[in-house]
Amino acid sequence: MPKQLLFTKFLNGHLAAPVTALLEAVHVHPKHPQAPISNAFAMEILVFLVLIAYFLIVRFTLSVEKPGAFQHLAEMTNGFVEDQGHQIIGHGSERFVTYLTALFLFILLSNLMGLIPGLESPTADVVVPLGMALMTFLYYHFHGIRANGAAYIKQFLGPVWWLYPLLFPIEVISHFARVLSLTVRLYANMFAGDLLTLAFFSLVPIGIPLIFLGLHLGVAVIQAYVFMLLATIYLSLAVAHDH
Amino acid sequence: MKKLQYLFMSLAAMFLATPAFAQSAVNGGSAAGQWVPLAAGLGMALAAGLCGLAQGKATASATEALARNPGARPGIFIFLILGLAFIESLALFTFVIIFLQVKA
Repeated sequence: MPKQLLFTKFLNGHLAAPVTALLEAVHVHPKHPQAPISNAFAMEILVFLVLIAYFLIVRFTLSVEKPGAFQHLAEMTNGFVEDQGHQIIGHGSERFVTYLTALFLFILLSNLMGLIPGLESPTADVVVPLGMALMTFLYYHFHGIRANGAAYIKQFLGPVWWLYPLLFPIEVISHFARVLSLTVRLYANMFAGDLLTLAFFSLVPIGIPLIFLGLHLGVAVIQAYVFMLLATIYLSLAVAHDH
Repeated sequence: MKKLQYLFMSLAAMFLATPAFAQSAVNGGSAAGQWVPLAAGLGMALAAGLCGLAQGKATASATEALARNPGARPGIFIFLILGLAFIESLALFTFVIIFLQVKA
């Protein structure tokens, strides 16, 4: 049995049998049939529940005359992302704000979760950032094709026809490298932050690790912002029209 | 004076050698395995040092630009954060590769 957090243990205690059956049905054999749910997945579920609760609270307390604290917070986040989108993408950025805000909030909450004892960052497991990077990859290609139609292929080709065979593979590789760099940047930052705190905790168990927890707090916020910023920039490049 | 110099040099060589001898038992005793911790440390130090240099250069330019033209703050801020993230990710690639190699 792997080491489980409290919430993972709770989930595995109630859902181990159906989840294992589901995984067996798609020919995936979990290493521990008694505990198929990993810590990262349980933490993701937790983030999901918290965000859903937050959105529901915001939705049901919406008011024009007396905006509550949650509404102020939600408006601030949305306004911040909207500002970024408008600055980078320009005209037509409104339709991306929902996705970018959700991405930003999810990553921010996932990153900050590692600071609470008894919980850990789901983003410190490499598959979680990979999932978000792949989703962003599909999302911006979808919108690129939607905005440019068949002319989207021109973005992968060079300015003149005899450069096409040379530039096409390079562009394709560079687009896949975006997935790699998005994944590794978030994963390695979170993982290294946890490791750093742990290393100093084993050297000096009192006081000093707090400094690194503070550093980790800054890194968590910055990395969530950077992920959102890069997603915005990739979107802006994908939907740009060549004039 | 000359003798002291020789003494310290030989001492330094011996101190360098002891961890190498001690390590050979840890990493399965293979001849190549004993250099893994040394290579990991040196690689990470190189990556971190050069990353620090590059980030310092980027930040210096950004602050200079900000001092010359405080009105361009939002644009400069985005590019600064973006540049720092890209530079930092290079050091993190090194970290991930070291982590994968040392554990295996």
